[in-house]
Amino acid sequence: MRYVFSNLGQGLRRNLSMHLAVILTLFVSLALVGAGVLVKRQADAAAEQWGNELQITAFLCREDDPVKRCLGAVDSAQKAAITKVVKNNPEVASFYFESQETAYQKAQKLFDPKLFQGDQPVLTPADFRESIWITLKNPDQFQGITSAVLGLDGVSSVKDQRDVVQPILSGMRVMQVASLGVAVFLVVAALMLVANTIRLAAFARRKEIAIMRLVGASGLYISLPFLLEALFTAIVGVALAGGALAAGMWFGVHDRLRDYIGFIPWIGLDDFLVALVIIAIVGPVVTLLPTLLLTRKYIKV
Amino acid sequence: MIRFERVVKTYPGSTAPALDGVSVDVEKGEFVFLVGASGSGKSTALRLVLREARASSGRVYVAGKEINRLAGWKVPRLRRQIGTVFQDFRLLPSKTVAENVAFALEVIGTPRREIKRVVPGTLDLVGLSGLGDRMPEELSGGEQQRVAIARAFVNRPMILLADEPTGNLDPATSAEIMRLLEQINGTGTTVVMATHDHGIVDLMRKRVIELDSGRVVRDEASGAYGFQH
Ligand SMILES: Nc1ncnc2c1ncn2[C@@H]1O[C@H](COP(=O)(O)OP(=O)(O)O)[C@@H](O)[C@H]1O
Ligand SMILES: [Mg+2]
Repeated sequence: MRYVFSNLGQGLRRNLSMHLAVILTLFVSLALVGAGVLVKRQADAAAEQWGNELQITAFLCREDDPVKRCLGAVDSAQKAAITKVVKNNPEVASFYFESQETAYQKAQKLFDPKLFQGDQPVLTPADFRESIWITLKNPDQFQGITSAVLGLDGVSSVKDQRDVVQPILSGMRVMQVASLGVAVFLVVAALMLVANTIRLAAFARRKEIAIMRLVGASGLYISLPFLLEALFTAIVGVALAGGALAAGMWFGVHDRLRDYIGFIPWIGLDDFLVALVIIAIVGPVVTLLPTLLLTRKYIKV
Repeated sequence: MIRFERVVKTYPGSTAPALDGVSVDVEKGEFVFLVGASGSGKSTALRLVLREARASSGRVYVAGKEINRLAGWKVPRLRRQIGTVFQDFRLLPSKTVAENVAFALEVIGTPRREIKRVVPGTLDLVGLSGLGDRMPEELSGGEQQRVAIARAFVNRPMILLADEPTGNLDPATSAEIMRLLEQINGTGTTVVMATHDHGIVDLMRKRVIELDSGRVVRDEASGAYGFQH
């Protein structure tokens, strides 16, 4: 054991530049993997908040609705008529009602909590509209349902949220694909760097390894220094990438974006933890996998 | 202790077998010379005993076990029972004499206290008392080979394999190394030594197995190197 640990320091120092190259590549690729995960979760959260990308929302009239078309709150006869039209429309795949209360609760997550507090809160459930969320069979065919519903009594407005949401969502998807795509290249680069590091290390220690094999050291014992080095570089890489992601989330999302763009539910600590877990798995796999395969090859017992 | 049954070894990519139907039996405690011209298959035979190579056909038994069939993870255990020395000593230049010997125990997990106890005794046995702190490069060839023998024997193996151990040494030093191997053999260790050093074989009058192109052409209980010389 003493031999193994004294070798860890020695091995790291001997191959310092290679290990630094591995750590840096790993750092950047894991940071990108993490960023891709976070962007994906952000896009998912936004998509969920705004309804499915394919959804159309029909808002129903509320009490004192400022929209001229409305003559007071929607009544049950109107609702039944609207339901019938939606149900029978061939463009509609499915639909569901969202109550004023649900709309109110969703809003609480988005807006300043002060708006909901106090004896006379600025916003109450009555300020929100009941709505029908319609999922289309084909995202390109929405003209029929939009015009059919818009003409009905009790409908305040119809919103095709894709007009607003789509550019933002596709922007996020592009970022997600780009970061993960670049991450894949860098992960491959990291794998090759690890392989090269091991080849050099095995070569530098070939005499020692030959004698260990000769006197009957176990395969695990011989490859342990390599595995520890791999684990060490992985831990450093994961720590650096995790730190970069945390910093990015703190200064980017927490301090800036949240202030500017308040209507999206922003990713938080649990999303960061998910990204951290993923890179904490990917990192060691990237360094340990080639190490295991190559030590078997170079150190075959 | 070591038993070959119709062993054939053909290296990949070569047509002529390095060993071609070898059957020999070495008893526990024997001292055996393996002789023959360069390329006759001596080193290959030793490599098979160590499971550095596998026989293409036939069986190799070490201590009653058929080692061709041995699972890979059991090979280290086999090698712990076999000490090996080579013509080129194979010492680690960055370690002292004592560290070189201790290394063989460290890497098989021997406790430090045990290592501290055993290493000086083994150095005494091979005639290197007081040289434990020297570096290998400060020693003569004969002394370096003694270090290698100490390393091979420190674990008290059942078998000692020596592949041309005197190949780099002058005759006087070679004779000393032979006395040391004989002494180790005297402790009950089976010794198999590959060599083409006529003088030594003739002098020692031990069992001689001669290989020629991978075949056993002679197996004499107390032989000389060869008739043709
Ligand atoms: N690793 C190897 N690969 C291919 N051929 C080998 C290898 N080792 C030895 N040989 C061949 O096997 C034959 C026997 O070699 P070896 O056992 O080293 O003989 P010796 O030790 O008696 O000189 C030779 O023809 C040699 O070229
Ligand atoms: Mg040879």
